[in-house]
Amino acid sequence: MHFDVYGDTLCAVVTAAALASTGNYIHLRLPNGVVAENLTLGACPYKEPGLADLLTEQLKNKRLCIGSADGLPEDNVHVVFVAVSPNAFDGVERLMEELAALPPRRWLLINQSTFPVGSTANLEALFFSHLPDDSSASLSAVSLPDLLQEGAALQSFMRPTNLILGCDDSEAEQDIREILSPFNRRREGMRLMRPSEAEFTKLAINGMLATRLSFMNDMANLADVLHVDIENVRLGMGADPRIGDAYLYPGCGFGGLSFSRDVMSLAHTQKDAGVHSALLDQVLKINERQKEVLFRKLWKHYKTDLKGKKIALWGAAFKPGTGRIENAPSLTLIDALLAQGAEVYVHDPMALPALSERYKNYAAVSVSDDAYDILHDADALILVTEWKEYWAPDFDRLKASMRSPLILDGRNIYQPEYVRQKGFDYYGVGRG
Amino acid sequence: MRDEGRPQLTGARRHAWDALVDQADALSSVHLAELFERDSERFSSLSRELGDFFVDFSKQKITDETLQKLVALADASELSAWIEKLFGGALINETEGRPAMHWALRAPYKDKILSHCSGGREHSSFNPDAVEEQLVRLQAIVEKIHAGQWRGCTGEVITDVVNVGVGGSDLGPLMACRALEDARLQDGRRIDIHFVSTVDGSQLSHLLNVLNPHQTLFVVSSKSFATVDTLYNATTAKGWLSRHLGDQRSVMQCHFLGVSADVNRMTEWGIFPENQLLLWPWVGGRYSVWSTIGLPLALILGGEGFRRFLAGAHEMDKHFHTTPWLENIPVLMALIGVWNNNFLGINAHAVLPYDGRLKYLPAYLSQLEMESNGKSVTRSGEYVSYKTCPVVWGEVGPNAQHAFYQLLHQGTPRVASDFIVSAHRYLGSEYAEEAQELGRQHELALANCLAQSRLLALGEHALPSSTDRPMHSRCQGGQPSTTFLLDELNPHTLGKLLAAYEHKVFVQAVLWDINPFDQWGVEMGKAIATETLALLQDGGKWSDKGADGVSETDSSTVGLIGKIRGE
Repeated sequence: MHFDVYGDTLCAVVTAAALASTGNYIHLRLPNGVVAENLTLGACPYKEPGLADLLTEQLKNKRLCIGSADGLPEDNVHVVFVAVSPNAFDGVERLMEELAALPPRRWLLINQSTFPVGSTANLEALFFSHLPDDSSASLSAVSLPDLLQEGAALQSFMRPTNLILGCDDSEAEQDIREILSPFNRRREGMRLMRPSEAEFTKLAINGMLATRLSFMNDMANLADVLHVDIENVRLGMGADPRIGDAYLYPGCGFGGLSFSRDVMSLAHTQKDAGVHSALLDQVLKINERQKEVLFRKLWKHYKTDLKGKKIALWGAAFKPGTGRIENAPSLTLIDALLAQGAEVYVHDPMALPALSERYKNYAAVSVSDDAYDILHDADALILVTEWKEYWAPDFDRLKASMRSPLILDGRNIYQPEYVRQKGFDYYGVGRG
Repeated sequence: MRDEGRPQLTGARRHAWDALVDQADALSSVHLAELFERDSERFSSLSRELGDFFVDFSKQKITDETLQKLVALADASELSAWIEKLFGGALINETEGRPAMHWALRAPYKDKILSHCSGGREHSSFNPDAVEEQLVRLQAIVEKIHAGQWRGCTGEVITDVVNVGVGGSDLGPLMACRALEDARLQDGRRIDIHFVSTVDGSQLSHLLNVLNPHQTLFVVSSKSFATVDTLYNATTAKGWLSRHLGDQRSVMQCHFLGVSADVNRMTEWGIFPENQLLLWPWVGGRYSVWSTIGLPLALILGGEGFRRFLAGAHEMDKHFHTTPWLENIPVLMALIGVWNNNFLGINAHAVLPYDGRLKYLPAYLSQLEMESNGKSVTRSGEYVSYKTCPVVWGEVGPNAQHAFYQLLHQGTPRVASDFIVSAHRYLGSEYAEEAQELGRQHELALANCLAQSRLLALGEHALPSSTDRPMHSRCQGGQPSTTFLLDELNPHTLGKLLAAYEHKVFVQAVLWDINPFDQWGVEMGKAIATETLALLQDGGKWSDKGADGVSETDSSTVGLIGKIRGE
C-alpha cells in the first residue's frame, strides 16, 4: 500500500522505516529542519539501534522516499500518518483543509502526535467543515499514541507489547489492524478505546512514570538526611507485587523530550479545563530540583568555591542508548557549573555532537570520546547517564589521573563501600 | 525666622520678591473659576509636554503676568548659574564639601565622559568609567540571579531577595519596584523582593518566619554603611542565617550583598569584596535610586529595563538643562511651588497619585522635598526670613478621597496638590482576559482624578446649580493643583517624573538660597539615639561628652527610661 507520513519526530521516522520494511511504499513528508537536512543527505537523524541500517536499506530500494511537509498525498494514497511535534498543531489543521480540497476519497488519518486530549476528534471535524457540500469524500481520524521507548524505538514499534488504538469507526479499525498486522502477530496486543481516551492514556502513562521517579527522588533526599541507603529501600519496595520494581530508580532527574513534555502537556490539559494538577506540578518541580542534586553536593563539598575547578562528566544523553539531550539533567548541571566558573569536560558515547552544538560558544566546555582522557587533573567525576561502559571503571587509573579523587554518582551504579575503599570520596543519590 | 515678612533680600531679588507680593495682592480677590472664564485658551497656554509626559498647570492660580514675575525672581536668584554649577560638578553641597551628581548616574556613557571633561573632574571621585563599571556589575548580578545561578551556601537557587536599608536606601527602590511591577521582566525567573527598614525589626521578624534561609539573599544597602537601623536589621538576618545554615564564611559569601560608598566598612562588616556594589559620596541618599541602590528595581526590570528607567530621567535632565524657564517643566513646578508657598500662603502640599501602583510615591516625595528643603539657614549661614519647604504628604488618590479630602474640600488650611495619573493602563497581554473590566476601573480612576481636581479648583462653580445650598454643603474651591498625565506608567515615564521632582526641589532651593543636599538635622538625631541606647542598655548616667553637646539631661527622657527599665 501507499502511505504518507507527516512529521520529523522519532515516531515519524520509525513509523516510515518500519512500514516500508514490510513492503509498503512510504512518502515521508518532513518540515524544514535538521532532521530533513540529515535525511536528504541519507544520514540517520536519530541514534537508535538498527534505525540507520533500516533507513539506508529502505531508501535504497525506493520503498521510502523523502519529501516536504508542504506536499500533499498523491491520488493513490488514502492513509495519512501524522507524527509531528506537539507545537505543530497549526500545520495539521492546515493539512485537514488541504485534504478536503483534494479529489474525493475515503481518508484514514492516523494521529500519533501528542496533542491535547480531544485533538484527534477536532481534526476530523475540521476536515468536514472544509469539505464542499457536494463532495463524496470522508475522513476517519484515529489516535495511535506514540508509546515508543527512546533507545529501543524501532524494537518497540516492530514488536509492541502494548498497542493503544483510539478509534470509534469499525471500518477504520479494520484498516489499521491490516496495516499493523505484521507487527502484531506474536500476540494480540491492541486495546481499543475512544480517540480521546487513547490520547489521555498516553499522557497518563508518562505522568504516572514521572510521578514514581519523583516520588523516589523525594524519598532519596530524605534518605540522605536520615543516613539511610535508598538502594536497600528501593529493593524492598520493588519486591512488593503491588508496587513492582520498574521506574523506582532514584537519580539526578529524568529528561527526554517527550517524557518531560508529556507530563507538562497533561498538567496543561488539566489547567485548561480549570482543574489544576497539584501533583503533576510537584512532580515536575521535584524533578527540576533533582537535576541539581549533584551540583549541590559538589558545591558543599568544595565549600561554595568551584571557580576554576575541573569537572568531568560521564554521560550527557538523557538516558543510555540515545544521543539526545533534550531536557537532560546534564544540561542543568553544566549550566550551573559554568555559572560558577568551573571548567567542564564531557564524555558520552553518542550525545557529544548534540552537546558540542549546544555549547559551541562556551570555551569552558570540552568534549572527548575517550572516557579516561577527561579525567586528567579533574577535581570531580560526575556520573550522569548510566551507559554500560561506565559500570565497571578502572578505579586505580581514575585515582591516579584525577587531582582530587571525588565521585558523584547520579545513578547509584557504584558500591559506596568499595569506591571509598579505593580511596575516593563518594556521593550517591540518597545513600546516607 | 518664623515670621512671614519681607525677607532680608537685596537688589534684584528684593525687587522681584516685592513684585510678587504685589501680584498676589492683585489676585487676592480673583477666584480660580474666574481665571478659566476669562481665558478660553487657559489650558493650552498653561500646559507643557515632553514626549510621553504631560503637565497641566492651568488649575494653579497663576496668570502670564505671575509667571513673568516668577521668572524674574529666578533670574534674580541666578538660577542659570546654579544649574550650570549642578551640571558642572561644582561643590554645591558646601556643608559636606561635595558636588551633587546624581544626574551623572543616568547619563549615557558617552555623555558621562563629556561631563567629566567639561566640569565633573572638579571633584576627583567622579569617574565615568567607575559609574559604568558598577552598572555593568549590577547587571551581571541581576542576570545571575534571574538565571537561577546565584546560589545559597547549600547550593539552593536564590528565590527571595530582601533589601535591608532605610531612607533613600529603602523608599526609592521600594517605591519604584511597586510602581513598575507591570514592567517585570517576563523571561527571567520570578524573584520575590522584600523590604526591611524599621529599626524595631517589625518587617524582618515577620519575614524570618516565612522565608527559607537556603534561598534568601540579603542586600544590605547603606551609603555610609553606618546607619544603625540598617545594621541592626542586617545583624539579625546574619544570626538567623548562621543558626540555620552554619558556616559563617559561606553564609557571608552566598547570602549577603552590600551596597555602599564605604568599602572599608562593608568589608569590616563581612561583605565579600566580589559582593560589594559601590556608589559615591556625590550621590545623596534620597537621590540614589539611580545608583546601585536601585538593585531591587533592576531585579524587577532586568538590566535593560533599568537602563530605560535611567534614560527617562536623563531625558528630563536634558530638558531641564537646556529649556527656557517658561517651557521648562521642573522650573515651572518649582516657581509655582514657591508662588503658592511664599506668596499665596499655602504651606501644605498633597501628592495624589490616581494609581495604586504609586502607593509609595507620596512617601518618597515627602522625603525628597522635606529632607532636601526642610532648612532654615541660607547658604551664607543666616536664618531665612521666609518660609521654605511646605509640609508634603499624600496617599493614593481614590483612597485619600475616603480619608483626608474632606479637609481639602471644606477645611480651613489651604493646600496645593499634585494629581498624577496615566492615560493608558492594562494594555499588557497579562491582563488580556480581564482587560475590559480592568479598563473600566481605570476609567473610573481617571474620572475621579479629573473630577476632584476640578472641584478643588472651582468649588461650587464646578456644579450645575450652585445657588441655595445650605452652608454645610458649600465648597469654596480655590485649592490649586497641577495634573501630571503620563502616557502610561513605565520605567521611562517614572524616570522622567522622579527627575522632574528632583530638579524642582533644586530650583526651589536656589530661590530660597538653601542647600538641598545635606541633612544635618537627621545626623543630629542619629547621634543622640546612639547615646540614648547606651543609657537604655546600661541604665548609666549621661556621658559627659555627648555629641555636639546635645546630651543635657532632661527629666522627660530620664523619666521615660526609668519607666521602661522598671526602676
